[in-house]
Amino acid sequence: MNKNKNKWLSLLCDYGLLVVLILIILIVSLLSKEFMTVDNMTNILRQSAVIGIMAIGVTVVILAGHIDLSIGSTVSLAGVIVMSFVNNYKMDWTGMILAILAGGLVGLVNGLIIAVINGRTCDSFIITFGMQTAVAAVALIYSGGKYMSGTGGGVHSLLGKGYLPIFFFLFFAVVLFLVMRYTPFGRTVYFMGANTKAAKMSGVNIKFYTTMLFVIAGVMASTASVILSSRVNAASPTSGKGYELDAIAAVVVGGTSLTGGKGGIFKTVLGVVIIGVLGNALNVMNVTTYPQMIIRGFIIIIAVVLDVSGNKLKNSGVN
Amino acid sequence: MESYALEMIDIVKNFPGVKALDNVTLKVKKGEVHAIIGENGAGKSTLMKVLNGVYQADSGSIRIEGQEVKIGNINTAKSLGISFVFQEINLVPTLSVVENFYLGELLKNKFHMIDWHTMTRNVKEALEKINFTLDPKRRVLELTVAEKQMIEIARAVSRNAKIIVMDEPTSSLSENEVEKLFAIIRTLREQGITIIYISHKLDEIFEICDAATVIRDGKTIETRRVKDYTEDLMIEQMVGRSVTMEFPQRTSKPGEVIFSAADICRKNKIYHVDLELRRGEVLGLAGLVGAGRTELCETIIGAEKMEAGEIRIFGKKTKISNTRQAKHNSIGMVTEERKETGLALDFSVKQNIVITNLPKVAWKGIWLNAGKEDRAAGEYIEELNIKTPGMNQKTMFLSGGNQQKVVIAKWLFSDVDILILDEPTRGIDVGAKFEIYQLINKLAEQGKAILMISSEMNEIIGMSDRIIVMHNGHKKGELEKDMISAENVMRLAVDTEEE
Repeated sequence: MNKNKNKWLSLLCDYGLLVVLILIILIVSLLSKEFMTVDNMTNILRQSAVIGIMAIGVTVVILAGHIDLSIGSTVSLAGVIVMSFVNNYKMDWTGMILAILAGGLVGLVNGLIIAVINGRTCDSFIITFGMQTAVAAVALIYSGGKYMSGTGGGVHSLLGKGYLPIFFFLFFAVVLFLVMRYTPFGRTVYFMGANTKAAKMSGVNIKFYTTMLFVIAGVMASTASVILSSRVNAASPTSGKGYELDAIAAVVVGGTSLTGGKGGIFKTVLGVVIIGVLGNALNVMNVTTYPQMIIRGFIIIIAVVLDVSGNKLKNSGVN
Repeated sequence: MESYALEMIDIVKNFPGVKALDNVTLKVKKGEVHAIIGENGAGKSTLMKVLNGVYQADSGSIRIEGQEVKIGNINTAKSLGISFVFQEINLVPTLSVVENFYLGELLKNKFHMIDWHTMTRNVKEALEKINFTLDPKRRVLELTVAEKQMIEIARAVSRNAKIIVMDEPTSSLSENEVEKLFAIIRTLREQGITIIYISHKLDEIFEICDAATVIRDGKTIETRRVKDYTEDLMIEQMVGRSVTMEFPQRTSKPGEVIFSAADICRKNKIYHVDLELRRGEVLGLAGLVGAGRTELCETIIGAEKMEAGEIRIFGKKTKISNTRQAKHNSIGMVTEERKETGLALDFSVKQNIVITNLPKVAWKGIWLNAGKEDRAAGEYIEELNIKTPGMNQKTMFLSGGNQQKVVIAKWLFSDVDILILDEPTRGIDVGAKFEIYQLINKLAEQGKAILMISSEMNEIIGMSDRIIVMHNGHKKGELEKDMISAENVMRLAVDTEEE
């Protein structure tokens, strides 16, 4: 009896948010006719794609027990890089490649610093926070602080069209899902997150892995930025400001633990969709911006509470 | 008739499964320096924890200057005039000497502000009382270990301590500092303060102590005046027993040398250690706690930086700068703290076993194959007789012995030839211990070279083909099979001569 109750509780902690998502969809679709339309649903996914790509990238970092706060600034930087090449030189491919490499470079610097000092979560928090400020400034210097409106043309302008952002989001999600679940690399990242010292003593090259994680997060952020700049056909040196928190919120809401080792890409996709649907639902119901922010804030807090209490339950009860 | 400052009579303390103290009696005369000696785990620390109220004795009585007392916690001990100077210094590093002196009871002046002036003057006086000069405004983290000890001692004296317990006070002091400490101890003795001196260093005991009590296996062996003791007698009493525990027999003969390390140094920890390891042998690494055995092994596997030295594996000079390189060169280490550094407790038995060699259970080394993982894990669970409801059970739910087997299985799975075992049976019940011994023998018979750290005298004598004894980061000596005895190991492990 008690055992059964625990089982239900732990299921609720695992999939509670999915239930919440379905409830939101049901209620709002009853209240509003515009909500449950193909157009609106596609729109939600299109809007979520950029945060989504960032979120799956940072999921990998979080699974290993680290955090990356610099990805928002990376979005800003990569955006102005690609847009400047498209506008000024009509070199869309060069621009896109350089933008993505810039993201990789930011990740590399993050990763190397944290690897060299054998940093733990709190260290990566501060280091990537510093990086966030520095990279934001680089974006401002590079662009001269100017907003860039796209003059169009080339492959770059196509990437954000129609279903393509959704396609890219799902594509990268599937790839990273497979990498994390079925490759030695992915398994090692999980193990690192669960117990870094044990991973080290098991012969894992922690420095190499730490570096790679941040490179992945950086590349995913700059890729997201290329798609974003195409979709809105513009770039601003502050376009990614605050995006890192939206991405991390999606990871947490999805149920990946900030302490590392637990969670996954699929959960993050779920988290991205929940936050997207919730925002849209609130819009449809004419809830204004500030109350929306309160609701979003509480969703994140509830997600963490569920995660922590769910773990306690599992480690005490069942078995 | 002389009076006793402290009497602990027939103290018994049981922990689940062990009798840590079995009718220990300690009688310390007023104003003497009294040594307590014994092997690792003989019961010295437990006895002191009974004295300071951390543990409550199951039976027995404590008398201070003839008065029977109950010591419920450390504050009672303090108010009875008993002070402790521990190996780990109990000072707050970021605060000044003065603040540490008055920690939690800062003096206030008439304006209810902190009275720095009076406090600083008092601290100066207290330090002078033990003939020690130091600026009381300095922060503790700038001080040497010796200076910190002096502060602890001065603090104890200023609080009218009648008995000061010093636990391994010289373990990290230089020769010069030891002399200073001894001078202070003599000053204290003249002032009529009783000192209980716990140490492994017999020469110090002969120099500074008046009486000594030997404790072994939780029992008092004897108390004598130090002048009536000889070094040999002390060692004999510390070791005492003949080794009675049964260890499984091993048939393997040591083969060729597959690992050798020369002149290994690690900053402030390990100094010029050489060792050779043969196929099919168990090399014991003995020494007292803090001798640098774990530190040496961490250096060998690249977990800590090696300052100097050369490692040869299968005769080939090899550079190992991280644990991954160690693994690729066929070295694995089963760590002492299996929950901290051996296992991911949240992960299953299976996932923990295969982590050391994931490509082996992956298609083309890149795509994990669930079937292969299951087979590999199943094989080791059976071979090592790991008791678990299933391979998908989280390791946190396993018993200590079975957890240890999982850690060993990890290294067998990665097929290392050189296996380092750091305290392989610590915290494991007797039945599981025997199984681990059998497993070690089996591995040696399969041709693995095993380096085993152990603080249990029986175990290291019963299991080793050869023993290296360490002391203070140095290799103190090496004992071939026919020279192995508890006395010989202990003689090398305790510091009886200058290095």
